[in-house]
Formats: sequence, C-alpha cells, structure tokens
Amino acid sequence: MLSTIALDTQVIQKDLCTGCGACQGMCPYWGSVEGRTICYFDCDRTEGRCQSFCPKMPTDLEALRAKFFEGSEIIPEIGPFRALYLTQAADPEIRKNSQHGGTITALTEFALKEGFIDSCVMTKSEGGLNARGELATTAEEIRACSGSSFQIPPTLAVLNKTLKENKYKKVGVVTTPCKGLAVYKMKNKPLPEKDNNADNIGIVFGVFCGWGLDWNGLEDICGKYSDVTKLSHMDIPPSKYHRMDLVADGQEIHVDLDEVEAQVRPACHYCTDMTCEFADISVGGARSADGWDVDKSWNQLIVRSAKGEELVKLAIEKGVLNVKEVPETALEKLKKAAAGKRSKAVAKAAEDK
Amino acid sequence: MKWYLTADDPGKVCLLQGNEAIVRGAVEAGINFAASYPGSPSSQVLGMLGEIAEERGFYAEWSANEICAIQACFGASLANARSICVVKQNGLFLMADALHCGAQHGVKGGLVIVTSDDPDAHSSTNEFDSRHTAKTANIPMLEPTTIQEAKDMVPYAFELSEKLRQVVIIRLTTRVCHGRSNVALGELPKEIRKISNVGEWDRLTCVNFMHKPMLDKLDKAEEIFETCEYNRIEGPDFSENLVICGGTGRLYAKEAIKRLGAEEKVTLMSLATIWPIPRKYVLDRMKAAKRVLVVEEVDPVIEDAIAALAGREGINIKIMGRGTGDMVRIGELNQDKAEDGIRKLLDMGPRTPDKPVADLPAREMNFCAGCPHRATFYVLKRVLRMEKVYGCSIGDIGCYFMQGQNGGFYSNQMDNCMGSGINVAEGLGQLTKYGLDQKVITVCGDSTFFHSIIPGLISAKFNMSNVILMILDNSATAMTGFQPHPGCDVTAMGKPTQPISIEAIVRAIGIEPVVADPFDIDDAVAKLRGLTKKDGTQVIIMRQPCATLMSKRVKVKKRVYVDQSVCFGDDCGCNRFCSRVWGCPGNSWDFKAGKAVIDTVSCVGCGVCAKLCPSGAIKVEGGEE
Ligand SMILES: Cc1cc2nc3c(=O)[nH]c(=O)nc-3n(C[C@H](O)[C@H](O)[C@H](O)COP(=O)(O)OP(=O)(O)OC[C@H]3O[C@@H](n4cnc5c(N)ncnc54)[C@H](O)[C@@H]3O)c2cc1C
Ligand code: SF4
Ligand code: SF4
Repeated sequence: MLSTIALDTQVIQKDLCTGCGACQGMCPYWGSVEGRTICYFDCDRTEGRCQSFCPKMPTDLEALRAKFFEGSEIIPEIGPFRALYLTQAADPEIRKNSQHGGTITALTEFALKEGFIDSCVMTKSEGGLNARGELATTAEEIRACSGSSFQIPPTLAVLNKTLKENKYKKVGVVTTPCKGLAVYKMKNKPLPEKDNNADNIGIVFGVFCGWGLDWNGLEDICGKYSDVTKLSHMDIPPSKYHRMDLVADGQEIHVDLDEVEAQVRPACHYCTDMTCEFADISVGGARSADGWDVDKSWNQLIVRSAKGEELVKLAIEKGVLNVKEVPETALEKLKKAAAGKRSKAVAKAAEDK
Repeated sequence: MKWYLTADDPGKVCLLQGNEAIVRGAVEAGINFAASYPGSPSSQVLGMLGEIAEERGFYAEWSANEICAIQACFGASLANARSICVVKQNGLFLMADALHCGAQHGVKGGLVIVTSDDPDAHSSTNEFDSRHTAKTANIPMLEPTTIQEAKDMVPYAFELSEKLRQVVIIRLTTRVCHGRSNVALGELPKEIRKISNVGEWDRLTCVNFMHKPMLDKLDKAEEIFETCEYNRIEGPDFSENLVICGGTGRLYAKEAIKRLGAEEKVTLMSLATIWPIPRKYVLDRMKAAKRVLVVEEVDPVIEDAIAALAGREGINIKIMGRGTGDMVRIGELNQDKAEDGIRKLLDMGPRTPDKPVADLPAREMNFCAGCPHRATFYVLKRVLRMEKVYGCSIGDIGCYFMQGQNGGFYSNQMDNCMGSGINVAEGLGQLTKYGLDQKVITVCGDSTFFHSIIPGLISAKFNMSNVILMILDNSATAMTGFQPHPGCDVTAMGKPTQPISIEAIVRAIGIEPVVADPFDIDDAVAKLRGLTKKDGTQVIIMRQPCATLMSKRVKVKKRVYVDQSVCFGDDCGCNRFCSRVWGCPGNSWDFKAGKAVIDTVSCVGCGVCAKLCPSGAIKVEGGEE
C-alpha cells in the first residue's frame, strides 16, 4: 500500500495517530496543524520512512528491546529497568520553572555540558499552550523548554529535520511514550538505505504520560477558566484530587477532571505505555508518603540503559541532581499504575472489536 | 496591424482566419459600434476591432460582461448606429433576458450578434448549442459554412436587421473561427453611417403588444430566407436521399459523399438560414426524398425542425440525424462521422475505422509554467486539508477552472457557470448555521470578479454568509488571450483609463480584503488560514501577474536549474515532488539520471519550485526586470 494511504487509513482515520511527528519533517507530504497530522499531497511510494517510523504501525517490540536494552531487566509493566530514583534538580532556579523536580531540565542541560549530547529536541510551550518542537543547543534554550504541555505537538518532526540537516551528531530528545517508541523505531533503521542519519540520535529522555489532550479542547478549557496570556503552568495532581491545576498570574485554578478527561486525545485511549518504556531514562512525577505538596517538586526516575545509567550516576555525583531515598513500595506502586493504564487500553481496544 | 482588415481593394483574395473574416465583414458593413466580453473561440474579434476602430471611425469596447455588451449595443441602435456584439455560447445564454426583451422591442440601427459555439468544448466547459436561443427569442439566425461566407454574412445580416428592424444572430463554430481560407475582399463603405439623435417619440421598449409585430418580423424573415443565396443545393436537385447540413456540416458531408462516390445519389442541401427555417425551400426537396439525414454541429436543431415540418405536412419520410442516434449524439463532427451517417442513409454498411496514428499518452490540462494559479491552489489545498473537516472548495470559470485537475491539486468540488462560485458558496455558507460543519472557500478571477461576482458578494455579505472568496488577480483575462478588463488601465481602443480597484469595491461592500502573494507560499497559507478562523464573508486577493504577461516584461529571465547531486529524485523524502506534485511544466524529469531537471524552454524563472524543493536542489540565479 502507498505509505501515505497506509498511515491515513490504518492510523489517522482510525483515530490512532498520536501526533508525534515521526512521519513529518522529512518530506513535503506530511505536516501538522494544531496537533492533527495532515497529509497534504499523496505520495506514491510504497516503502517510506513515514510509515516505518510511525509508532502505531506494526512493530516487533521484543526485537527492539533485545537490540537496544541489552543487560537490562525487562519488567513486564514498565519495560527495561536498571534502577529507580527519586530526584530533583539541585539548582532551585531550574525547579522554579519546571514541571515537577526539574530532573529533565537539569539532566539534559548536564548531558549537553558533558558532551553526552550536542543538542536536544524538546517541547516548548507558553504555560502549556501553543506547544511546539524546539531544537535546543544551549543551556538557556533547554531551560526555556521547562514545564509540560498536555497538547501533543509533532516534536519528532523537529528531530527528523535536525537529523536530515546532519549538523548535530549527538541529538538528545525528550519524548512522551508514543514518541519514545517512534525514536527507537528510527534507531532501528527500518529502511537501511534511508536512515535519515539515525546514528546521530543521542540520549532519549522519556517522560511518563497518562494521556494528552485535544489541542483546541485544552485551549477552550484554559480560556474558560483563566486568562491564557498569563498562563504559566498546568499539571494533574494525583488521582485522588480529581482535578487539573492551572496557574495563571500566580493564581492556582482547579478544573474538575471530568471536564478535562472529555478532551483526551482519542489515540491516547489505546496507549499501553505509561512510563515511556523506550528511552534511556524515564522521568515522571513522584508519589510518596510525604504528600503532593512535597512530591510536586520531585521526580521518579527509571534508568533503563547503560548509557542512561552512566549519565544519571555522573549527574548525582556532580551534584546536579538531588536524590532521596526511594520508598520500598514505590516500584510496586509504579508497576500497578502502569498496569492500570495498559489494561484500560486493552479493554478499550477489545470494546471496539 | 493586419492590413487586409481595412484594405480598400475589392476582389483581392487574402488568407483570412474566421475571426478576421468577421472583423473584415464588420468593416465592410460600416459598423459604428462594437461591444464584447471575451470568450473563446471568438475572443479575438473585438481585440482586432479595437485596434482598427479609430482608423475606421467606430467605437469598440470590452464590456464588463455580455449583458453590458448587448445592452450597450441596443443603446447604440437607438441612435441609429450599426452595432455588433461578439460573444460565445455561454455569453449568449447569459444575456438571455436582454435578448428576449430586445427581440420584442426590436432595433433601429442594425444590430448583429456574432456567437461562437465550441463543439467538443476545446476551450469551454460545455458544447452548448446557441441555436436554441434564436428559436426561443424569435430572432433570425444565420450560420456560415465557410470563411468567405463568415465575412459576407456580416453585411448581409446588417441589411437584414435593418430591413426587419430586428436583431440578427450569426452563429459560428470553433472550426470557422479558427480555420483559415482564401477570402475575396468586398467593398468598403464610402462613408460611415450617421448617428442620429434619439427623437422624442423614438421607442424601443419591451411591452407585450410588441409580441405580434415580433412574430411578423419572423415571418418576414422566413420569406426572405426562401430565396437566400446562402442556402444552396449540391448534387442532383431532387433525389431519394437528402442530406441537410448546417454550418461546417456541409463540408464534412461533401467530403464524405465524395469519398463514397455518391455524388449522383445524394442531394446535399446546406442551410445558412438556421432560424426561421425556409419551409417551402426545404419541403420541396423533402417531398421528393425517401430519407433525409441531417448533419449539424451539436444538437438536433434543424433535425427537429424538419421532423416537425414533415409531421405537420404529413410527409412520410425517414429522418435521421444526431437526435435519432444515426449520427453521434455528442462531440464535434468530422468527415468520418459524417460518412457514418451517410453510409446509414445509403444502407452501405459500416466504415472500417482508421488505425490511430500513434498511442498518445493521456494528458491532463495544466497551468502554464510559472502560473500564479498553481501556487494559489497549492496554498488553497494545504489550507483545505488543515481544517478539521476538509474544507469545501467551489470553483468558477476562467483558466483556474483547471483547479479540478492535477495543476490545481484536484481542489475543485463544484463548478457551475461564470460568476456562480460566490453564489454557490453563499448558499453553502448559510448552511454552516444549520449543520454544515465545514469552511467554504470559493475562487474567482479578476475578470470574473467584474463580470458577475460583485452581486453575489453583496448578497453573501448582506445575508451574513460564512464564506471566503479568493480573488485570483493576475491582471488579465488570461484564459482568452489577455483582453483588458475593468481592473486594467487601457481600453480596447488603447486609451488610457483609470483601473477600477477590486479592493475599493470589496471595502465598499463592507469587507476588509486581505491581500496575499501566492508566490510567498507560507505567508499566503498563514493569511488564508487566518481567514478560516473568522466568521462572516471574507475576501482574500491573491495577487501575482499572469506568468505569460510577466515573461513578456522581464528582460533577462532568472536561470533556474537543478543540482542533481543534491536532488533526492524519487527517493523517500521527495519522490519527485516538483515534477509529480507541483507539476509546473518547467519541472521535468531526467529519466537517465533518475533526477529532476528544469526544462529551460518552458521555465519562466519564477523560482517558486526552489522554495518547495525538500532537498534544496533547485537553484535560482540572476534575472533582470
Ligand atoms: C502529555 C503529558 C502527560 C503526562 N502525564 C504524566 C502522568 O500521568 N504521570 C506522571 O507522573 N507524569 C506525567 N507527565 C510527566 C510530567 O509532566 C513531567 O514532564 C515529568 O515529571 C518531568 O518533570 P520535570 O520537572 O523533570 O520536567 P521539566 O524539567 O519541566 O521538563 C519537562 C520536559 O518535558 C518536555 N515536554 C513538555 N511538554 C511535552 C509534550 N507535550 N510532549 C513531549 N515532551 C514535552 C519538555 O521538552 C521539557 O523538557 C506527563 C507529561 C506530559 C507532557
Ligand atoms: S516519508 Fe517518504 S514515503 Fe512517506 S510520504 Fe514522505 S516521501 Fe513518501
Ligand atoms: S508517525 Fe506519529 S504523527 Fe505520524 S501518523 Fe504515526 S502516530 Fe501520527
């Protein structure tokens, strides 16, 4: 089947497209508007990178894990595993603007400084809106990307463009789980002759993900409850609070989670990965007995690969990350949460059948 | 200038094109007034009239549309002027109301309409037959079979018009307009007819009590047509096999009869007087015949008329033609098709079809190299696809009609007639309040805007329809050959005039137009996309001169070339985007190298493809304006 038609009929029209951007940035056929993946013109190639990079097209996950996570334990619920940490950025300036503990910002900045990576593809937004992919090549540019957006921009289009230009040779990338899988599919070079310089992909920094939201749906919610021009932050506290928090002009606003969940991107209902199993390290919010007020400035960090391990250990050693003791139950809780997302997705898929 | 159009050299034989013959005929008729809106195949006529108008002491104009043209001619007629109005089939239909009213009130100075039909739709969306209009409007109609006749019939039509005090229509078809043959020139009038002031009690008004006089004029016309020298018989005067032809049908039938060696067996009647049919002239031959075949372009107009005649007169005769299916029902005729009909008439069995000369690949129509419309539709297609629900795109009539094909990225979903786009879109736009969940975008050219878009835009704005009108301003009526329109600064007679501003009109309607350059693709996409976010009636003007005009203005064209060492060719990442998708004739494919190449002959140097090339392989250098 033609590549563009394959993606359109098997992924986009089936509401499976995550908007990751893996199909974009390499050719004039694909693009994205407000999180929607668009095929502007039909391409008559049957073999294309677009469809072979797409995380929603058939993938041999076992083979991918075996190839890229040699020596790591594979935990069924959360994927390749070497260690679990509770971390935060040592620099309070980073913590101030970051989503939780600022681990991602601190680690990517450190990786750049230490030469683990020479650039990093990240996601930038204004308080969570107008999200877009960014190529950061300096510490300042990395810091400017702190904070999460629940809009899903095609960040991997920027990765593809960067790799195509072939200027940077160790390109780090911060990804949600869907994007993480796509990046590993790229690294696997499905079309060896046309690999878009996949060897230049550096460290993959995953972030946990429950779901993403409809682009305009999120805009509407934010517009309804806040002055979007003053929006600086958005987050979802632990499930018992059942709310989304918006921060605008320094004020925290609570939005009922039901209203938010009505806007979940359809594709996310089918997603089985919470912890970004395809990454060198994965980072999410902390959950501990200390409660949300403390946890919200800490992260859980899963080390998955040897490279990730080397980076995290060095960062701790150099005092870039603060660590605290991981509660005994933490891993079990994490596995349970991840298994919960997976079973919901499986049920949803079964329901459709 | 073409000397033979005005040469005072009666009897001199010149090679004339059909459209030139009409011009020469108008000069010989001593016209005072000419008005037209361009429409192929007869677009060239007024252009030529404009060039010689001053020299010959008459007036010529490109009117904003065909209604303006015919009514201006009626006005001139009221002052005793001889006026000629030149249109194509669609133009004739557009002016239907004016024509029917005009037939009822008649004319004072002679008024001749030259209409050109386009069998096979070579440069039209249809092959409508204008002859029906003569019948419904009760107007006499003539149709020449040769280019000589095309010229001769113009003065004849004027005399007839003045004799009857009625409009006369001359119907042409593409082959007559665009064909060339030897024509013997006629005399030029000694002096041009005097214009007379409109008398206090002069009247040309359409009132119902003129119905009877109008029919009387038609009867008078028929009487004249019974002995009209342009109707003629070839072959035996009377025979069992009668072929009746209209227009070019005569030449096709004549050749077919010759091929079949049937000259002695067939009576060939050519009718130049299409409406009213000279009944006696026709009946005499019909009474002697057993079978009659009608060979005419497009619809069975003569065929139906003689069938009615035969029925009324109780003549038992077999009637064959395009209406009975004995000749092909659609498309332009030729000798072979005429032969097919004549073989049936003579019970001769079917013709062995010729082998095709070559297997030609099918090719879609396309915009010229460097045409701004391609860029405009590229922008439009992108924006339509950007919508959550694919936007709805309504077309109009002009070169941009090719929007529906590869050159327009297949972005046209509906096309009615000229000026229809805004009205169709207005209707759809209203439905956005009743469940239609789509953006509605329509396009029109600058010439079409002046021709018939303005009332629709007013209607849309007044009724608050959610619609976007894209005006494709290429500063020309490019489709038909660069005739000036009201947005231009020169008239048909070459006089400088103040161009009418599209923006000012749009603003006066209460809409602030957005202006974009389609060659600045990203900016144009952003501007059009911006409008899709707004409610109400919006206008965007896509401004970039026609490539053909531009290439005439440019001193040294830019050099555009492909660096094949960089080109991705048909690899993933491009897959021949320039030649396959963008599709400008300048973007060609080097089969040997498997890479793109610029066809330097077609390329006009606009350089837009260079902006779109995903590998940056297309380079642009130099150029001078
Ligand atoms: C859509 C989404 C849903 C999430 N859901 C959960 C969840 O259910 N549970 C949980 O524990 N954690 C979730 N997270 C992760 C969480 O929000 C933090 O990103 C993570 O804890 C890291 O925090 P930090 O302080 O280190 O981040 P920071 O140092 O502030 O860095 C955040 C990084 O995230 C990247 N980013 C921001 N938005 C996006 C996006 N839309 N797509 C890809 N990358 C982005 C930026 O490039 C930035 O570098 C989610 C994140 C996203 C983007
Ligand atoms: S990535 Fe390759 S196969 Fe897919 S649309 Fe682009 S050129 Fe075609
Ligand atoms: S690659 Fe990503 S953006 Fe493209 S179709 Fe697949 S899921 Fe959607």
